[in-house]
Amino acid sequence: MLTFLVFTSVFLCIAVYVLAAVLPYAVILLLPRRLSAHWMRFLALNMGRVVIYVALRPFVRIRHEDHSGGGRQPGFYIFNHRAGSDAFLVATLGREGIQLVNGWPMRLPFFGFNARRCGYLDTTQTPLEAYPALIGDLFQQGVSVVAFPEGTRSGSRRMNPFHSGIFKLAMVLKAPIYPCCIAGNERFPDRRFRFHRTREIRISFLPPIMPEAYADIPSAYVLKKRVQARIAEEAARLDGLIDRHASV
Amino acid sequence: MATESTIRMVNQIFIEKFELEPSALIPEKQLFKDLELDSLDIVDLVSGLQHNLGISLRENKELLQIRTLQDVYELVEKILTEHPELKDKIPQK
Repeated sequence: MLTFLVFTSVFLCIAVYVLAAVLPYAVILLLPRRLSAHWMRFLALNMGRVVIYVALRPFVRIRHEDHSGGGRQPGFYIFNHRAGSDAFLVATLGREGIQLVNGWPMRLPFFGFNARRCGYLDTTQTPLEAYPALIGDLFQQGVSVVAFPEGTRSGSRRMNPFHSGIFKLAMVLKAPIYPCCIAGNERFPDRRFRFHRTREIRISFLPPIMPEAYADIPSAYVLKKRVQARIAEEAARLDGLIDRHASV
Repeated sequence: MATESTIRMVNQIFIEKFELEPSALIPEKQLFKDLELDSLDIVDLVSGLQHNLGISLRENKELLQIRTLQDVYELVEKILTEHPELKDKIPQK
């Protein structure tokens, strides 16, 4: 029943948003590719906000903490990945960004088309050697990259091992890394897209790791392990807060 | 069977490149599952091996077969058997 209600609420909110934005959307699609992608990201960011703050509001409380110091430099936002809702929850960042997407979401009707128009990168289709130029160009435009280095949803509080690719790229491009943590949504929805009663989701933006701080790190492996450890530590703290509130 | 100097040389790469604790370097450990390396980390491992041995391993097909730390020891030992002149490059102590 909860799954039906959440999907209905999300669907209705997206439908109203799309209807309200249909005219600017049509104009944006006609703009030159780069400008179009910029405005598409603006629309996507606000759609994410509508889903989080309107569609999900009756079902779950979403809180976020920003410890990042408000850094504005484009970089890599590294999230843990417990559930499909993460793709929307990253909108709390409020920053223009693209997501690195693992194949199948790019093939979804509506979302897939718009993700491509936003300039999201399909990791299963983009050749490895193309990333430095593509992402370097995005950084030049002030666009950040959101990545889930676990590669797939864990569906629990457990964190899957990180892949090294994004950290290798960060080292090549000498870009800031912004570790971020989402907790409480491991069953919202679960891996089979069923929603379970969840009282609270917490999101935390951690202090950035600037390129100077990792210049002497010997490999992407070491960098990923450090970022993973920071996120794991924060996840444990947020899970603790969620459990404490749930027991009150 | 890998010699002690080969094991020491390979372990040194894991310690320097991946900052792994020596106690974690158990021959049976799976590189991907236990040590959480991925294909890009293997590239770093290979570059470390190439640097220490002074030869290119780009064409070495057996690299694709390595799964455990023991496999790496054995591969390096095999390379050293095929190229005995490389043994001088490995510190004996």
